[in-house]
Amino acid sequence: MKALRLLRWSGAVLSPRTRPCCFIHQNQYRTPLPFKMLRPQSTAVAPSEEHLETEDNLQELLDPRPPEPTIEDLLRKSSDRGRTESILRSLPSPPPSQAHKSARLSALHARLMLPPRLPLESLARCLVDPSADINPHFNNSSFSLLGSDLLGLYTSEAILCRYPRLPTEVMFAAMYGYCGPKTLTSITREWGVEIAAAPGGEVDPGFLQCKRVEAGNASVDGTGTQVKELPKIADTPNQKPTLGERGWRRGVSSRTVKDDYFGDEIKRTELDYAERPELYLEDQQRKFEKGVTVEDASSNFVRALIGAIHLHAGKKAAYNFFKAHILSRHLDVSSLFEFRQPTRDLSRLCAREGFESPVARILSETGRKSRTPVFVVGVFAGKDKLGEGSGSSLDEARIRAAIGALKGWYLYSPLEVRVPSQAEKGKEWEPVLVDGGEVVV
Amino acid sequence: MPVKALRTTSTARNGLGAFILQCKRLDFHYCDHWGSSRGMNSFLTSPLLPHLSLTNPSIHISISPRPSHHPIIRASYINGREKVICVRNLQKEQILKKVELLRDAGGEKVRRVKGGRVVDSFGGIGREGVRGVWSPYHGEGRGVDWGRGKVER
Repeated sequence: MKALRLLRWSGAVLSPRTRPCCFIHQNQYRTPLPFKMLRPQSTAVAPSEEHLETEDNLQELLDPRPPEPTIEDLLRKSSDRGRTESILRSLPSPPPSQAHKSARLSALHARLMLPPRLPLESLARCLVDPSADINPHFNNSSFSLLGSDLLGLYTSEAILCRYPRLPTEVMFAAMYGYCGPKTLTSITREWGVEIAAAPGGEVDPGFLQCKRVEAGNASVDGTGTQVKELPKIADTPNQKPTLGERGWRRGVSSRTVKDDYFGDEIKRTELDYAERPELYLEDQQRKFEKGVTVEDASSNFVRALIGAIHLHAGKKAAYNFFKAHILSRHLDVSSLFEFRQPTRDLSRLCAREGFESPVARILSETGRKSRTPVFVVGVFAGKDKLGEGSGSSLDEARIRAAIGALKGWYLYSPLEVRVPSQAEKGKEWEPVLVDGGEVVV
Repeated sequence: MPVKALRTTSTARNGLGAFILQCKRLDFHYCDHWGSSRGMNSFLTSPLLPHLSLTNPSIHISISPRPSHHPIIRASYINGREKVICVRNLQKEQILKKVELLRDAGGEKVRRVKGGRVVDSFGGIGREGVRGVWSPYHGEGRGVDWGRGKVER
């Protein structure tokens, strides 16, 4: 695998685009935007509407023009404290220059032991949710898109290489356990990140900034009605009906291909956005107006941080960060299983793998006639004991034994595993075990 | 029905991967006039404070006046709790000890650890131990020495 030179990327990705690169960007600028969206990030100037109307004006864009005064310039010039405050208040999120003034932000940087190559400005940008600042040059949406993909890749390969025989449903649940929104929310809390009461330019950049969705039990305009009692407006209008709504069958294979990495149906894909870019703007606008939950904002923040580390400090740093903060958490994968008919599953499994059909035998028992009997039952395929379990009735013990045997098969874990993303250039790659998957009953 | 799965969340193991110091903020409050703040004021102007912030970059330190009151140190922790120590009439070295005490605390209330919980297996009380549960039905069993130099089963 050829190592990519990410250092070069980071500059290109982080600096504001002066020219539209793709269809989505062109459309973002073509739509009438509020003044705040045309806020220049640093010395470079964002293109204004009229310059993008025709191709002929491209040359004009390339010509050096006197730069407009940026927010940073205004802040630097204004000696008056009240003036500075009013400039800051006019912004939806704190400008990058404020990042170095925040003790809270640098404490967070140190607490997470982030690489020094990740600047405070980027950490501050990770803390700005799209619901606080709709401008994609100042919020974390691009970081979190990258981080979400990285998180999915690293977690799934870690789980799959460690447990190559895990059933797909359990695999989805394990993914959810390691990097689901609930986990990411508690990670954010355990990192000591606090959430700003309301977003704004004057807020300390060390706070997570998002516009909170209205509480369900808040009253509507001072009346007795609660927000949750109102008729629900569709979350995403103009949306295709989901597979479930169309009455289609959603099997495990369809979930692997079509759904996200927790096996949940994706409402809108990147392809939808590419085909109809106005949908993207529409979604962002709705989030900006309606607000998001703390769960959404915090999981976006964690993903964005991983994306930012990957961009600034490289692949290795991002992987180490993932290992230290996400993979090191404890998840008991064996407790995720829920069997309905384990004995039948086991006999199907034995038939598939070419074992003799499983037979349950009593290994030992005590107090059969007493109030508290204990039976120990083993499940055997020929002379091999596949599993054993104990219970207070013969059936209970037999089912426990079958579950034990199934878990023993599904939770097989090779001793030393190297995940594909950690393949190195010089070393020969040893392929990891890929299993046939769970039994289909 | 094939196998289904239950959704849970993973639990933090602080220090197994990354270690996050639980004290996230220290507020120092002083008074310019009261004599009880003399030690605090000399602590705040001494090199002890810059050294403290350099060695503990993950703590957000803030200093603010609290006129006509005793000096206090307030520590905020990740679990949302706060601990406050009044450092009236203390010397700066004694104040440093108090700061270190606050820094190293986990934020939980100080409780007496009962005898049975001192040694705890991974996962807490009621979980299976690492060695599994002892069973009388399995293994070689332990023989009884009847005093004849031979162990009988």
